[in-house]
Amino acid sequence: MRPPSPLLRSPRGASIVAVVVFLAVAAGLALVPQLVRKPYVLHMWIVLFLAIAQGEAWNVIGGYTGQYSVGHAAYFGVGAYTTVMLLDMARIPPWWGAWAAVACALVVSLAIGSITFRLRGPYFVLASIAVAEIIRLATLYFKGFTRGAEGFLVSDIPALHLFGAEIEFVTKRPFYYVGLGLVVLVIAANWAVQHSKLGYYFQAIREDQDAAHSLGIHLAFYKNVALAISAVFTALAGAYYAMYVKFIDPNSAFGLDLSVQIVLICIIGGIGTILGPVIGAMVLVPLSEILRNPKGLVQVGILSPDSRAVAFIEAHFANAHVLVYGILVVLVILFAPDGVLGLMRNGTRRVRRRLAERRAGVEAPAP
Amino acid sequence: MTVFLQSVLSGVLVGGVYALIGIGLTIIFGVMRVINFAQGDLLMLGMYLAWLAFKRYHVDPYVSILIAAPLLFLWGALLQKALINRVLDALPQNQILLTIGLGLVMSNTVMLVFTSDYQLVTTSYSSSSFPLGTLSVSQPLLYSFLITAAITAALYWFLIRTDTGQAIRATAQDRDAAQLMGINVERMSVLAFGLGAALAGAAGTLIAPTYYIFPQVGSAFTLKAFVIVVLGGMGSVVGATLGGVLIGMTESLAAVYVASGLKELVVYVLFLLVLLFRPAGLLGKSRM
Repeated sequence: MRPPSPLLRSPRGASIVAVVVFLAVAAGLALVPQLVRKPYVLHMWIVLFLAIAQGEAWNVIGGYTGQYSVGHAAYFGVGAYTTVMLLDMARIPPWWGAWAAVACALVVSLAIGSITFRLRGPYFVLASIAVAEIIRLATLYFKGFTRGAEGFLVSDIPALHLFGAEIEFVTKRPFYYVGLGLVVLVIAANWAVQHSKLGYYFQAIREDQDAAHSLGIHLAFYKNVALAISAVFTALAGAYYAMYVKFIDPNSAFGLDLSVQIVLICIIGGIGTILGPVIGAMVLVPLSEILRNPKGLVQVGILSPDSRAVAFIEAHFANAHVLVYGILVVLVILFAPDGVLGLMRNGTRRVRRRLAERRAGVEAPAP
Repeated sequence: MTVFLQSVLSGVLVGGVYALIGIGLTIIFGVMRVINFAQGDLLMLGMYLAWLAFKRYHVDPYVSILIAAPLLFLWGALLQKALINRVLDALPQNQILLTIGLGLVMSNTVMLVFTSDYQLVTTSYSSSSFPLGTLSVSQPLLYSFLITAAITAALYWFLIRTDTGQAIRATAQDRDAAQLMGINVERMSVLAFGLGAALAGAAGTLIAPTYYIFPQVGSAFTLKAFVIVVLGGMGSVVGATLGGVLIGMTESLAAVYVASGLKELVVYVLFLLVLLFRPAGLLGKSRM
C-alpha cells in the first residue's frame, strides 16, 4: 500500500482524510430526515444507529482489549431501567436520566470488572454471562422495585426546550437525531481510544496479556477502564432504546440473546476497527428488519402490497431474524474470521496486487 | 426435616439428568478444548424428538431415547466433521462464537418449523409419585434418574474398559502424544462430539415429561451445564457427575429455603464463587 502523504497525517498517525470523510457523512446523514418522510425508512435508520452504538461500545472492550464480554446486556439493561424508572417515578426527563444511567453503569461495570477480570479466556466469557444472568434474574424477582416480568411502559416523554425550540418526542425525527448524535459520540470515543496511549495499552493486553503485564501495564486497571468506557456507551444505547421502543422488561433489556447479538454485530463486521461494527450493523439490521416486518418494503415502494414475497416472508420467516444472525456468524467464523470488513480489505488488496502485477508486466516484460 | 430430606431427594433425582448434560459437555471439552455453547440446543433437539415420537407415534419418551440418542450422535459427529473441526486451532473466542451461532441456527430452525408454542409430553405417570416413608418420589424423576444412572455406568465402562474409550481419554490427556501413539485423534474428536451430543439428546428425552418444551429452552441448560462442568473441573467426567448432583441439590434447596424464583440466581452466584476461588473445580485438576 502507498502511504498517504505526510501532510495528511497527524502526529499520532490519524488520517485527516478519514476525519473529514466521517464529518461529511455525519453532516449528510443529518439531512436525511429533511428529504425522507417515510416513517419506515427513519425507523430503519434508528435501529441501525442503535446497533452501531451497541457494536462500537462493545468494540472498546471486545475489539481493542480482546476481552469477549457476552454479558453486555447488563449495562444495556441498567441504562434502560435507570432512565425509565427515573422518568416513571420521579418524572425526571431522559436527558437527565441518561446521566444517572451512565453513573449506574459505571458503578456496575466496576463491580463486574473487579470480579470477572480475575479470569481469562473462556472462563471470563462464562463469568460475564453469569453476572448478566444474575442481574436479569434479580430484576425478575424483586418485583417491588423493578415490577418483575411486567416491565415498564414509557407513557410520555416531556418536551425538550433547547435553544428556544420545543422538541416533542412524538414522531421518529427527534429520535433519528438523538441516534445520530449517539453514533457520532461513540465513534469519536472509539477514535480517541484508538489514537491514544490508552488504546495502545488495550491492544497490548489483547495481543499478549503476560507480555503487556511484564512491560508494566496494570492489567486489571486498564481492563476496567476499557470496560467502563464500553459500559457507559452501552448504557446510553440502552436508555435510547427504552425511550424509542417505550417498553422494557427483564428479558428484552437484560436477556442473553441481546448480549449475543451485540457481540455478533462486531464479529460479523470485523472487530477491533471503527468501521467493523458499522458494517456489521449495516449487514444485520436491514436483513433482520425486513424479515421482521416485510410490510415496510411495501411502504417504501420496493414491493407491491399484493406481492407474494411479503406474504411468503410473513408466513415463513416472521421469526427468522435471529436465524439469520446464527447463519451469518457461522459463515463468518469459518470463512472470514476478520469479518466482512476483513473480506473487503482482502478483496481490494488482491485487486490492487493484480493491477500492480499487470503494470509491472507492461513495464518489464518477462524474458 | 421432612422438607429438607424431600428437597435433597428431588435435588439428587434432577441432578442425575444434569450430570448427563454436564458429562456430554465435559467430554467435548476434554477431547477438543472447545466449549460447546450449543449443548443446550442439542438437548432441546432431544426434547423435540421425544415430543414428536410421543405425539405422532405414541412412543413413550423413555423408549424414544433409543431413537434420539443415535440421531443426535450422528448430528453431533456431522457438526464436528463439517464445522467444529475447522476451528480447532482458532482462538477460543471464535470457537465459542461458532457454537453459539450453531445453537442459534438450531433453536431458530426448530422455531420456524414448530413455532415457539410451549409443548408438553403428558404421560400417564407425569404427575404421579411413589410414597417413601414420609417422603414422596416423583415417578418421572425416579425413572429418569435410574436411566441416567444406567447410561452413566455404561459410559464409565466404555471410557475405562474399551480400547476406543481409552483412546478418547488419551486424546483428552494429550492430543499430540496420543497422535504419536498411533491414535486417530480426528476420529476420536468426531466420536467425542457425537457422544456429547448423544448424551444431551438422551438428557432431553429424559426431561421431556417434566419440562415445558420450546425452542429457546436450551440456553438455560447450556448455562447450567457450564456451571456443572466448572464445578467438577473442566474435562473431568467424575467431576461432572458430582457437579450435576450438587447443582440439582443446590437448586432444590435454594427453591425451598431462599425462594423458588431465585434458585437459578443462587446457582450462578455459586458458579462465580467457584470460578474465583477454585478455578480448577472442586475436585482439583483432573481430566477424565
